Amino acid sequence: MPQWLHLDDPNLWLVLAGTVLVGAASALVGVFAFLRRRALVGDAVAHSVLPGIALAFVVGQSRSLAVLLPGAFISGLLALWSIDAIARNSRIKPDAATGLVLSVFFGTGILLMTWIQRSQGAAQAGLDRFLFGQAAGILPTDLYLFAAVAAFLAVCIAIALKEFRLLSFDPEFARAIGMPFRSLEGLLAVLTVLAVVIGVQTVGVVLMAALLITPAAAARFWTDRLGTMLLLAAGIAAMGSMAGSMVSYAVPRQPTGPWIIVALSALALASMAFAPRRGWLAQRIRLAAYRRKIARENVLKAFWHAAEEQRPEVASVPGAGHPTSPVLSEAQLLERRAFVPRSLRRSMRKLARQGLLQAVQAQPDAVSAAGWQATPEGLRAGARLARIHRLWELYLTEKLRIAPDHVHDDAEAIEHLITPELEAELEAVLDHPERDPHGSAIPRPNGTGSRGKDRTEKPINPKAG
Amino acid sequence: MTTAIADPVLEVHDLTVTYRQKPALWDIDFGIPQGVLVGVVGPNGAGKSTLIKAIMDLVPTASGYANCFGQSLDEVRQRVSYVPQRESVDWDFPASALDVVLMGRYGKRGLFRRLSNRDRRVARECLRTVGLEAFADRQIAQLSGGQQQRVFLARALAQEADLYLMDEPFAGVDAATERTTLELLGELRDQGKTIVVVHHDLQTAAEYFDWIVLLNTRLVAYGPKAEVFTPELLQETYGGSLTLLANVSELARKQNLPVRE
Repeated sequence: MPQWLHLDDPNLWLVLAGTVLVGAASALVGVFAFLRRRALVGDAVAHSVLPGIALAFVVGQSRSLAVLLPGAFISGLLALWSIDAIARNSRIKPDAATGLVLSVFFGTGILLMTWIQRSQGAAQAGLDRFLFGQAAGILPTDLYLFAAVAAFLAVCIAIALKEFRLLSFDPEFARAIGMPFRSLEGLLAVLTVLAVVIGVQTVGVVLMAALLITPAAAARFWTDRLGTMLLLAAGIAAMGSMAGSMVSYAVPRQPTGPWIIVALSALALASMAFAPRRGWLAQRIRLAAYRRKIARENVLKAFWHAAEEQRPEVASVPGAGHPTSPVLSEAQLLERRAFVPRSLRRSMRKLARQGLLQAVQAQPDAVSAAGWQATPEGLRAGARLARIHRLWELYLTEKLRIAPDHVHDDAEAIEHLITPELEAELEAVLDHPERDPHGSAIPRPNGTGSRGKDRTEKPINPKAG
Repeated sequence: MTTAIADPVLEVHDLTVTYRQKPALWDIDFGIPQGVLVGVVGPNGAGKSTLIKAIMDLVPTASGYANCFGQSLDEVRQRVSYVPQRESVDWDFPASALDVVLMGRYGKRGLFRRLSNRDRRVARECLRTVGLEAFADRQIAQLSGGQQQRVFLARALAQEADLYLMDEPFAGVDAATERTTLELLGELRDQGKTIVVVHHDLQTAAEYFDWIVLLNTRLVAYGPKAEVFTPELLQETYGGSLTLLANVSELARKQNLPVRE
């Protein structure tokens, strides 16, 4: 155990428990702000609690949270109501209304704080903490308040999960089935303001929006379920709050709030990068796999083109027999297409493992050199690509009226993308054509390859037979 | 052209809706009998979507009212189903197809009540009806546009209503969805339900619907399609612009004055 981590220090536990409760509570309501695209509204509410805190201080002449937080609550709610009222009753759009309310409330708050500082002197030192937060000042009584608010938020969301889900996804439908839309929206607003009110104490009004939104944004990368997303967001917020509190506790003179936000942002960035499926890395891997598939398919297509050139009379004519694959060396393949040699060798190894390509030894009669040959299945896969390529070219020229000399590059990309279902649709739309716009025969799905087990394609179109 | 309808399932009376003072619908009056499949047809900006939103009480009305089953909507919401336009929601929302269909049960279940096993059974049954039982747990963003539209349809079915109001269910869907939707609407009608569909395409409207409501800010005509689909009425709906009416609307909008006292 490192020297600096005094786990027996009760103050550390106070700060940890306090920031975790506040973080998790903010994350829960933040999920709905995030899903309803109200992130900036959260920011506006956070900034708008400041005048309430200052006025409560003037009226109550006390720095205790019991006096200041009700002021913050009323002021935050008033801000939300103002945004709504302005957007509803004037031509000012919601985004502008949000900005307007944020600056007016925040400006008023700063003005009041300055005035308090001038007239009341040192006593206002306690109000500064609401600007940037000061978790170290959490008292045991504050902790009870945080726990009560966090529990209240969690219970409300658990009870109204179904309603909040519909409210966030499809507000029109919610109203159409007679849900008390305004009341539910009001409840959600109250919960948001409550989370902000306990949050500003630890991270301050300036960073509060990050505490609301960042955990939700991070959680969204990991799940497609609302329930899971709520739990994950709360968990991520708890982790970030703990990490931030630890740093500020271990290193002298480091503020807690900003470190919590730094930790949360790191978690969000990590989610963005490494989450399965939605993450950046997963997408890169998917893209790389697709590129390798394209490379392999281009090899098979090259074998088909070679077979076609060798025996054009049997290549594409239904029932005329099956062309066999010529033996091609690596050099011959490179001549046919600008493969990257290293990726070509990798593609061929993989194709050989898949049983689509086989190595051929040099014949003693010296007629054919050593090289590679497509298996019947491999050749059929190549034929399918040539077929989609030519169908697509035909589709572009016939249906989209694109000039025949402009369609090749498009087809080169699309041939790897099209599914058997789309292939069948394409064929039907074009009424089972025989030739592409350049005059090349379009290979039939059953015109090539063996009658053996079909591994690379599904039955494509019964009419084509 | 107006026809008096005895015991209409849906009755719209003198309905006017304004948007930023500009009338989107002027004095709409019509009634729909039980068990017909109705298409609401008109050019862009004719107020077709606004009409069913006004019936569903989703936009404020300047005057008039809409009654369902002879009562105000609030008394019969359980019997009325609304299908919004597909583009009106964010399909990247964290929900599965089944989650969305289950929303059709929320109204029956009531506020803060948990969904029952019967709700889940009904929702799965509705997904099967629209041919999406295999997609129940699929995230909605991964569905095609047509499949998303069918999820909305399944949600409407899950409401087990008697009157259906649908906003553009045929817009931008694939052939399979169009067929499924059409069959489904026919079956609902044969069960005695009444369906009102906002539709953008004049060509297919004649083939899809029994009744037509021709709309262009005001009501041009309504009734059985044979009576309504006349060249004169279509010309009136789509052709000659109603310059005077448009000018009055524009005046109200520019000066920010109401068109109703």
